[in-house]
Amino acid sequence: MHPALSVILFTVTSGAGYGLFVLLVIFHLAGIGPAMSHGELIAHGVAALGLITFGLLLSTGHLANKKNAWRSFMRFKTSWLSREAVFAVLFYPFALVYGLCVLLFGPEIGPLGMVAGLVAAILAVITLFSTGMIYGCLKTIRQWNTALTPANYIMLGVATGAVAYAAIASAFGNATAMHAGVAIVMLLIAAVLKGIYYFWISRVTGPTINTATTFNRATVRLLDTGHTAGTFLTDEFGYDPGKNTTDILKMAVFLLGFIVPALVFAAVLTGAPAAIGWLALVSTLIGVGMERWLFFAEAKHVVRLYHGAQHT
Amino acid sequence: MSALPEFEDHGKQEIKYTTCYMCACRCGIKVTVEDNKVRYIQGNRHHPINKGVLCAKGNAGIMKQQSPARLHQPMRRKPGTERGAGEFEPISWDEAIDTLSERLKKIRETDPRKLAFFTGRDQMQALTGLWATQFGTYNWAAHGGFCSVNMAAGGLYTTGFAFWEFGDPDWDRTKYHMLWGVAEDHASNPIKIGLEKLKRNGGKFVAINPVRTGYQAIADEWVGIKPGTDGLFALSMLHVLLKNSQFDWDFLVRYTNATQLVVQTPGQQGDGLILRDDNGNPLVWELEKEDFVDGSQVDIKPALFGEYTAPDGRPVKTVMTLLAERYLDDEYSPENTAEITGVPAEQTERLALEMAHVAFKETIELDIEWTDSWGRKHDKVFGRPVSMHAMRGISAHSNGFQTCRAIHFLQIMLGSVDCPGGHLAKPPYPKHVPPGIKPAKECAPNTPLKSPPLGFPTAPEDLVIDDDGNPLRIDKAYSWDAPISNHGMMHMVVTNAVKGDPYPIDTLIFFMANMSWNSTMNTAEVMDMLRAKDENGEYKIPYLVVSDAFNSEMVSFADLVLPDTTYLERYDTISMLDRPISEPAAAADSIRHPILEPDRDVRPWQEVMVELAGRLKFPAFTKDDGSRKFADYKDFIVNFEKEPGIGFLSGYRGKDGQSHLRGEPNPKQWEAYIENQGFFMYHLPESQQFYRYANQEYLELAKHAGWVGKTDPITIELYSETQQRFKLAGQGLYDGPQPTKQEHKDRLTEFFDPLPIWHKPLEQTRIDEDEYPFYAVNQRPMFMYHSWDSQNAWLRQICAQNYLYMNRQKAESMGIEDLSWVWLESHNGKIRVQVKLIEGCEPNTVWTWNAIGKQKGAWGLKDDANESQKGFLMNHLISELLPKKGDPVDDITNSDPVTGQAAWYDLKVKITPAEPEERGSWPQFDKVKATPGMSESPDQLRYHAHKPVHLNRDIRDVLTRGSLDDDKN
Amino acid sequence: MRLGLVIDMDTCVGCHACAVACKQWNTSGTTGPLTDYQPYGEDPSGVWFNRIRHYEVGDYPNNKTVNIPMSCMHCEHADCVNVCPTGASYKRPEDGIVLVDQDKCMGCNYCAWACPYGARELDREDGVMKKCTLCVDRIYDEALPPEERQPACVITCPAHARFFGDFDDEESEVSRLVRERGGVKQMPELGYKPVNTYLPPRVTRPIPTDDVRANTLISSVKDWVNKMVAR
Repeated sequence: MHPALSVILFTVTSGAGYGLFVLLVIFHLAGIGPAMSHGELIAHGVAALGLITFGLLLSTGHLANKKNAWRSFMRFKTSWLSREAVFAVLFYPFALVYGLCVLLFGPEIGPLGMVAGLVAAILAVITLFSTGMIYGCLKTIRQWNTALTPANYIMLGVATGAVAYAAIASAFGNATAMHAGVAIVMLLIAAVLKGIYYFWISRVTGPTINTATTFNRATVRLLDTGHTAGTFLTDEFGYDPGKNTTDILKMAVFLLGFIVPALVFAAVLTGAPAAIGWLALVSTLIGVGMERWLFFAEAKHVVRLYHGAQHT
Repeated sequence: MSALPEFEDHGKQEIKYTTCYMCACRCGIKVTVEDNKVRYIQGNRHHPINKGVLCAKGNAGIMKQQSPARLHQPMRRKPGTERGAGEFEPISWDEAIDTLSERLKKIRETDPRKLAFFTGRDQMQALTGLWATQFGTYNWAAHGGFCSVNMAAGGLYTTGFAFWEFGDPDWDRTKYHMLWGVAEDHASNPIKIGLEKLKRNGGKFVAINPVRTGYQAIADEWVGIKPGTDGLFALSMLHVLLKNSQFDWDFLVRYTNATQLVVQTPGQQGDGLILRDDNGNPLVWELEKEDFVDGSQVDIKPALFGEYTAPDGRPVKTVMTLLAERYLDDEYSPENTAEITGVPAEQTERLALEMAHVAFKETIELDIEWTDSWGRKHDKVFGRPVSMHAMRGISAHSNGFQTCRAIHFLQIMLGSVDCPGGHLAKPPYPKHVPPGIKPAKECAPNTPLKSPPLGFPTAPEDLVIDDDGNPLRIDKAYSWDAPISNHGMMHMVVTNAVKGDPYPIDTLIFFMANMSWNSTMNTAEVMDMLRAKDENGEYKIPYLVVSDAFNSEMVSFADLVLPDTTYLERYDTISMLDRPISEPAAAADSIRHPILEPDRDVRPWQEVMVELAGRLKFPAFTKDDGSRKFADYKDFIVNFEKEPGIGFLSGYRGKDGQSHLRGEPNPKQWEAYIENQGFFMYHLPESQQFYRYANQEYLELAKHAGWVGKTDPITIELYSETQQRFKLAGQGLYDGPQPTKQEHKDRLTEFFDPLPIWHKPLEQTRIDEDEYPFYAVNQRPMFMYHSWDSQNAWLRQICAQNYLYMNRQKAESMGIEDLSWVWLESHNGKIRVQVKLIEGCEPNTVWTWNAIGKQKGAWGLKDDANESQKGFLMNHLISELLPKKGDPVDDITNSDPVTGQAAWYDLKVKITPAEPEERGSWPQFDKVKATPGMSESPDQLRYHAHKPVHLNRDIRDVLTRGSLDDDKN
Repeated sequence: MRLGLVIDMDTCVGCHACAVACKQWNTSGTTGPLTDYQPYGEDPSGVWFNRIRHYEVGDYPNNKTVNIPMSCMHCEHADCVNVCPTGASYKRPEDGIVLVDQDKCMGCNYCAWACPYGARELDREDGVMKKCTLCVDRIYDEALPPEERQPACVITCPAHARFFGDFDDEESEVSRLVRERGGVKQMPELGYKPVNTYLPPRVTRPIPTDDVRANTLISSVKDWVNKMVAR
């Protein structure tokens, strides 16, 4: 699949935002970790909503007919894209009520703020899940058509959120081993899930050029696509970076996305200044950005079979 | 769901019927027009050719009408600029025609042959030929010489009809069809319609072609033959038929010259000619009388086999004896031909026997009464349901004439000629073998030719040569180089005219012919020739006139450009005097008429010709008082009579429009055609649909309609005396004109033969075949017609770049990768091309699509168009002359030595990988400039005849319903 | 009704007539115009609803060329419809035709992602998804003669390799062809239940040759004895 920059930035930033928001609400409401100042609370909240909003605005970037974007709420009944849109929008009033309470009341926000925060956090997770399901529900792309897809979306959101959380906390001099530990654990889970995903997609299954063309008893080769130049289909589905590139990038995903940030936090745990958490955030965002690029680039739509691919 | 909106405003639309011209297939089209814009072009379901269907080209007519390459006004080469620079200035039609008619007047008054007039893919040779005849120049021909004259000649000198326009398989009844060398063009829709019928009826389809694309894709059996060896393959199958005694004895005795007796006196005059009585009738050996009798009689029992001594003491053999002696020879056994043809012996033998089985064990019997030429009534017709079709892959070789004859021999042996399930003739064919017209031999000032420029020689006396044996025509047609060049040799015109060989000319007119590019051999050098000047700085071709509708590569070489209309903007006839649109069971012809108003200052070439003919006072175009006979083309078509009652259009004749085939001119004839959807059909009764070479009723009708000159039965010529006469001339044994040059003697002796021979394609005899190991041929994509369709925005999306296709396994063995660039080199030059590997290609063959490659800037294409940057022409590699060996043959045309058919497919090449940095096609040429009036080609097209009427989904439906299936669950 | 096409791979010669007819009809049709990009320049491209792809089955010399025209299959399980967030994509309940409401589409391409058959193409200029309508603007047009109320691709096909009809009607030509010729579906394993069905190449009947083989082959002209055949 053609990796659209707007979609990569959208899912990475909003994913981090939702992850950050969820952790904020949990840590805040459950009182986990050191007490947060009003300023830090606001910073976490603004960062989360900022990332989410930035991402959502970018998400309309790939629409060819933006004036009809509002119609995307209409098919909640069957469309995960519609659901994502609905949940993403539904998230806002609750998140804003929670934020308003934080602004007005500080850490002690009262029951309304607590309920709103909790609902918003649940909607954040559902939105992440919906985003994952946009891809996960497509039978046309075996690399996506797996429960691992929404799981990855959720865990990568949470892991990047955890890293962001720790980084913001460190800015307020409030970072602790808890922050570092949570980030390491989340990164580890996300990394394991991603590892399973990569292993899973490396096993070729599903339709082949034979089932696509209905000729199942002999080698089938493309003679001619019937068009000299590219088409919408080849533009959209024809992207193929080659195995060398994807292998290198996969290593980079693990290195920058998971290992570097985990090492940074391990260093923090062993006494390094918490401020280096920012390094972890930059590294993990780059790593997850590459992961998202790969997520698209490695996805082989079955239409490619008609353009000559032997399998997807 | 609510009712559908009214999508089309039919009240604003008009339906018009005319004839397609996106290729030469001549399908009927039904055009929906809206505000002088085409809404939709579809096939006319009542039309005999296409019966409602339409190919990709026909469906893209809108985009031809939209072509940015359309010429806008008459132009002349800007004074002071060089020819070929493409610098033009607009002039008025008056000035254009004044200039041209003045020039032509002078030529006609002095030496009419100084005008050479050659036409490309037009379908009006009856008119252009008449025009040249009236002008008085024999330097006229259409493109048949470089197209498929071998197909026509092979048939007309054998059965009296041929393939495509001359005859069709009986698709409704045939049970076995063999398709020879047919790329994806002619005849486009009829073949597709026919193949489907064949397969639906459970018939078998065998395709003989080195390449398995197009029609061959759906073949039940593919014979991936080596190019140029089809003749040997056919004769090998003939060998098998003879070995197994599988031939139609009765048919041979009744309708062919198989029983005629051939004089066997080698080394003497008269050797190899048919034994005749004093009246010129062929003699046969009567088995009951045991004596020689006139073989044209009926109710005799002639010997099919046998050797006898003629009353004058000369030994004679029957034609069939000679035939069997030759082809029973082991030389033709499948085992011995396999290596040359690449067809395994088992396959050759089996296919021959399969055909024999279908012909003789699955014979069709129809209860149809008919009367033979001798007045005998029959109550049945018998069909040998094996049919064939052959085209350019067979004809475009220097052995193509002989190969065509060999294919017809198979049909004749099987008795599948003009019978149910076999190969059927289409009126005005069959004709007598060969047709009686002889080529004009004399030109005189202000005098029409005595006969048309093109005809059918039967003996050296018919050649168009002077007393010294030198060619008289500028293309050297009908000379010793190519004695039976029935369609002329357009591919030699530029080369010969520039050399002044046989003489210089003054004016060359090309109509609709891309002779500086894909329609010429040796393209790069021909481009130089068109620009060549003599020592005085004058162009060697002093004046070059081009009429075309589009800015082709050729236009930039013109001194005068006369812009033609598109096919939707003019009157036109597909005339019974030419090759009309007939079906086997119906004579038919058709017209075009303007569907759209031209938006440019253009005129149909037909109108220009009629105008010039009037101004030049051609006798046929002038009244006795010296005034013009015809106001315009329409008037000409209605009122011109070739002979009383016979005109260009055969339908709706007579004052009342009720006479058909022959009748007085009808002033309302055009209206009648338009009213009848643009065509006329005369259905033949069942009694006239078969055995037409000896069908009395049919031949009487044919004579009445002017299709044949006499009602005598047509004898199918297995043995060609015409061929033997030329052979004798080569041997110095002919009582008449004989060649003086040794190379001509050799060619006549070697390549003329009264029975088909196979010889190696000529190019291959004059190069080192080890150096050039690959055969190289062109195929035609079904969605493009020659060079025409790269200007078509829809069709070029399907293919804007041609590749060099080669066999995958072969390429891999040579280390050539898919999509890599390679050098392709022949004896004549080299080109750089991109390779595509495929399975369906004979391993020793490489091929490409014809005419996709374009010169930069031509046809309204932008500079970076794939056609010019990556596409290529094979033409650069093909020489118009035979490969040089330093002998007199060097200057002889690279054509079939019998017919002058351009030997495009004799080409052999070598392949070497290009260096990594060598990308893009080579050679490249200067950019063809846009001509005045042409606008910049757009970056985007959004063609539509009207604003779309959308279909809107109800909002409640949006909110409540997914896909049906899911709702059910 | 369950309208759709049957495509005969035994007779399709790959001529692209159906593709161009489709382009021609639909560029002035209900979802037209169908934009063409760089129509006269490098890499010309555009919006088409029907594309013909060419394949080779088997290795030389046992290779067969197969042409496969592909357009919307009007699937029974039309995921393109289910994934559409705006409701622009829909499947008509009365005949099963899958359409895109041009006024509702936001051009997100998601439906194209859900389509395994490459049936949907975005018109970049209009910013909306376009696709085969089964010529909904022809097939119900009562101003057209009844025999022309068929998709443009079917009417034009020179090899009569395309058939249009109701798959719910067991007596229809399409149903009969699918039954008699063993119609197949592309990628059935995905479960989209495409309506359009392909007919596999026919198996050629064997032609006997033993009945035309001579017991003793002719070796010389002298082996033949003349027959008394009257001319």
